[in-house]
Parts: sequence; C-alpha cells; structure tokens
Amino acid sequence: MSAPTPANPSSPAHPTKVNVRVLRQDGPGQPAYWERHQVDYEENMNVISVLQKIAAQAQTVDGKKVAPVAWECGCLEEVCGSCTMVINGRVRQSCSALVDSLLAENATEIELRPMEKYPVIRDLVVDRSRLFHALKRLQAWVPVDTYGHLGPGPRINRPQQEEMYPLSKCMSCGCCMDACPQYQKIELQRRPGESDEQYQRRKEAAYEQGFVGAAPISQVVLFNSHPTGKSIADGRLDALTETGGIQVCGNAQNCVAVCPKDIPLTKSIARAGRAATLHSIKRFLEK
Amino acid sequence: MNGPNSSFFLRHEFLIRRLHSLSGLIPVGAYMVVHLLVNSTLINGAGAFQTNVHKIHALGKFLLPVEWAFIFLPIIFHAVVGVWIIRSGQSNHSQYRFTANWRYTLQRWTGVIAIVFIFTHVFHLHGWFHAQWWLENVAQPLGMAQFRPYNAASTLAQGMQNYGWPPFYLVGILACVYHFANGLWTMGITWGLWVSPAGQRRATLACAVVGLLLFGVGLTALVATQVTDPEEARGVEDRMYESEDGDR
Repeated sequence: MSAPTPANPSSPAHPTKVNVRVLRQDGPGQPAYWERHQVDYEENMNVISVLQKIAAQAQTVDGKKVAPVAWECGCLEEVCGSCTMVINGRVRQSCSALVDSLLAENATEIELRPMEKYPVIRDLVVDRSRLFHALKRLQAWVPVDTYGHLGPGPRINRPQQEEMYPLSKCMSCGCCMDACPQYQKIELQRRPGESDEQYQRRKEAAYEQGFVGAAPISQVVLFNSHPTGKSIADGRLDALTETGGIQVCGNAQNCVAVCPKDIPLTKSIARAGRAATLHSIKRFLEK
Repeated sequence: MNGPNSSFFLRHEFLIRRLHSLSGLIPVGAYMVVHLLVNSTLINGAGAFQTNVHKIHALGKFLLPVEWAFIFLPIIFHAVVGVWIIRSGQSNHSQYRFTANWRYTLQRWTGVIAIVFIFTHVFHLHGWFHAQWWLENVAQPLGMAQFRPYNAASTLAQGMQNYGWPPFYLVGILACVYHFANGLWTMGITWGLWVSPAGQRRATLACAVVGLLLFGVGLTALVATQVTDPEEARGVEDRMYESEDGDR
C-alpha cells in the first residue's frame, strides 16, 4: 500500500477559475482602463489560451458584455515575438507564459498589460515599428543585392559561429527595450488631414532622435562580424554613434535579464561600445 | 541622420557622453582618490597633514588655474551632463528588481547626493571664491570658508566641530565613493574593457574592493577630523612656521 502523495508546495491544488486583470485601451491616444475577467482553469494553459477564452466569453467577471480583448500572436512557440506583453509586471511572450507558473508567482490573479514603451494600437496590441526602424537605421543585414548566383560565401569558422549563433536567435520581440530605463516611449498622434506618408515621415523623424535599444545594437555586432556583412561595418558604426546610438546605454542590464532567448546583450553592448569608440577616433583623425 | 532641429546635446551626444564617462575617472575620480588619501594623513597628526598641504600649495600662483582646469570645471561638466543623463532615463527598479538595475538607480541617486555634497563641502571649507569682499560679507558670516592652508589641521578640525557636519560628510563620502566605484564598472563596459558576463562579474568584484578601500580611506580622514584637537594642532603649526622662519 502506497502512502498518500504529499501535496507539492510549489503547485498548490488547482483552482477551478483563473482571475485575469487586463489593461485595455480602445485605440491610439484613448484612455487606458482595467477590466477583470475570469476563465475556467484547464491544465497546461498558457496566456494565449486564457486570452482565447476571454475573447470567446466577451464579458467581464461581473457579466458585463464587452468587446473581445485584442492581442497578437503568431508562432505559438516563442520564435516570432508578436505576442509579447507585460505579464505580472514582467515583459515576456504570452505563448510561453504558462498559467501554472504565473499562479505560483501570484495565486490571486494574472495581470496583463500592453508593452510599456510602444504605442498601443488596441488593448494588448502595440506598434513596434520603431524597433524595425532601428534595424533599418543600423543596416542590420548582409548586403547582397542581386538575384544572380554568387557561389558559396566565405567560410565562418567554428569559434566564430559559436559567437554569432546566440546573437542570431533574436526575434525582435522588444523585451530588452521595454525593460530598459534608458528607452523612452515615442508616441505621436496623427494630425487631422495628415496623409499616411506625412504621418509616417513624422514618426520616422521622431524615431531618429530616440535610443536604438539593445537588440539592434546586438544585431550590429552580429552583422559586423559576418564576413560579408562586414563590408558595410563603417556605415553601421556611423549610425551607432549618432543621436540615440549606443552612448545612451546606462548599463542597467535589464535587457539581458529579460531576454527570452538568453542573448548575451550586455556583451554585445560592450563589444559595440569598444568598436564605436575606436571608429569615432578613426573618423576624427581621418576626416 | 541628425535633424537640424535636434539640440546641441543630441547632435553631439556620443562625444559628450564619452567625455562624461572619461571625466568621471580622469580627472574627477583620480582627484578624489588623491584628495581622500591626502586628507587621511591627518590621522598621523597635524604636522604630517600640514606638510602635505604645503606640497599642494607650493604650486603658488599656478594653484588657481590648476584647481579650475583639473578640478572645478571637470566636476561642473560631469555634474551638468550627469543631470541631463538622469533626466533622459526613467528608473524602473521597483518593477524590474535586478541587482544591476538597482545599481543603475543608485548611480543616479548618489550622483545627485554627490553634487549637493561637493558644492556644500567646497563652500564650507574653501568658500567657492577667494575674493575678499565675498569671504568677508558672504562666506564667513554663514560659517563657511573655514579652511586655512597654513593652519590646515587646526582650521579643519575647528570647522568640523559642529554636530551636523560629520554625518553630512559621512553620507557625502559614501555617495561619492559608491558613484566612483560603480562608475568605474559601467565605464569598463562603455569603453569595452570588460566584455563577457564573466569578465563583468570579476570587474564588479574588483570595483567593490576599490570602493571599500577608498571608503576606508575616506572614513580615516573623517575620523581624523574628529580626534584632532584644534588647540594642539595650532601649536604644532606655529612651531612648524617658526622653525621654517628660523631656517631662512
């Protein structure tokens, strides 16, 4: 006869209901407001399945009919970054945020907020175009501008591959920037009568003044160490030393602490910092 | 691309922030180390301290330009840019409770404390300006400008006798030393000196040791001001002055 299984203190008896508090916003520039929801508990739930249930119910815990909470998701396996939001005060992906571990953090409720540093489009959906603008600004790509067959590229030796691979895991989710005390939100309101192009230009001009953030800095390190990507290394370092470049970093190191892909972001920042200093001295002497 | 509308600071952000980082070590940090070391020699007695102060004041007419070029102006530059940097960030240590994030916030708080401390400290002992009318009509009536380089130990001990000053100096020294030690660590990352996470951990240890040693030095100086008897020190200084006179 076996002894009764002792209760595991890290996983208390499963609740039948899960309380969820969502910070909602009806549209850009609209006021944000909290709303309480309750869903049935299921085993192995993640935040996406909670959000699916909330959308299906479309009513608050008090029974008030509401529009379904909007959110984004793509891959459901933590490689696309689109479902990133602030869950229980910490920015992360909702697909890999498991309800059981969230309830272990806080048994009473799960708190969902949109990312803090990007403008809200609706509810938990944010506009991360600034992130992609930073990648463009820093030319975070390998410049191969042809459809023709160029033959095999240069060899990358094993130690180099091992340096580069972790950096290539970045999915541009924006966690590192959302947790960064030096990265401030840039949010513009569309002016009456402004065309799409005018609004876009105004947004990009504002992004030019802001900090590029950890992920794009790390991409500079990745592509500047790539044998072909290297050919435009100077241009990337030029961009990295302009307004909002690497100098804005304040070494709080939240980026590396919240990165879901364990990318050595602070190592990239140190490497880019050294390269940027040497580059700016070179520019000063050769200009 | 930097737009024409961006401020001077934003257009030269990289250079200014690199200079800010550098000025924290050279000359501001380096000066603080020398300053605390010289002050701690007071523990060896009024004579030892007076000898060191004499060495500094041997610069004579060069002392003022040297003070401004290597001490006052760099500190003012470091402080002004530092305040701009603080305003450009938004601490979130209550949300993201990581050690490095606390250090980030503390670096900013201690920076502000250091500004208040240094400006008050320079007023208290030096007086800010040495114009006669300023000293007689403003600084001295307020109990400031206490220090006399040719009666170094006695005037310092006298100036530090008020109950409020020792705790004020303790907080000030702590803030300055933390700001220097942690700033040394962030500087190593900024300039790419310690790169890997393991290297940065080792650097944290090294900077902590530097900070603790320096705090010990600062504390020695502070204790020395409290155990030095102004009357006795005055006697030592007078005897030194007379023997110097006799040598001539």
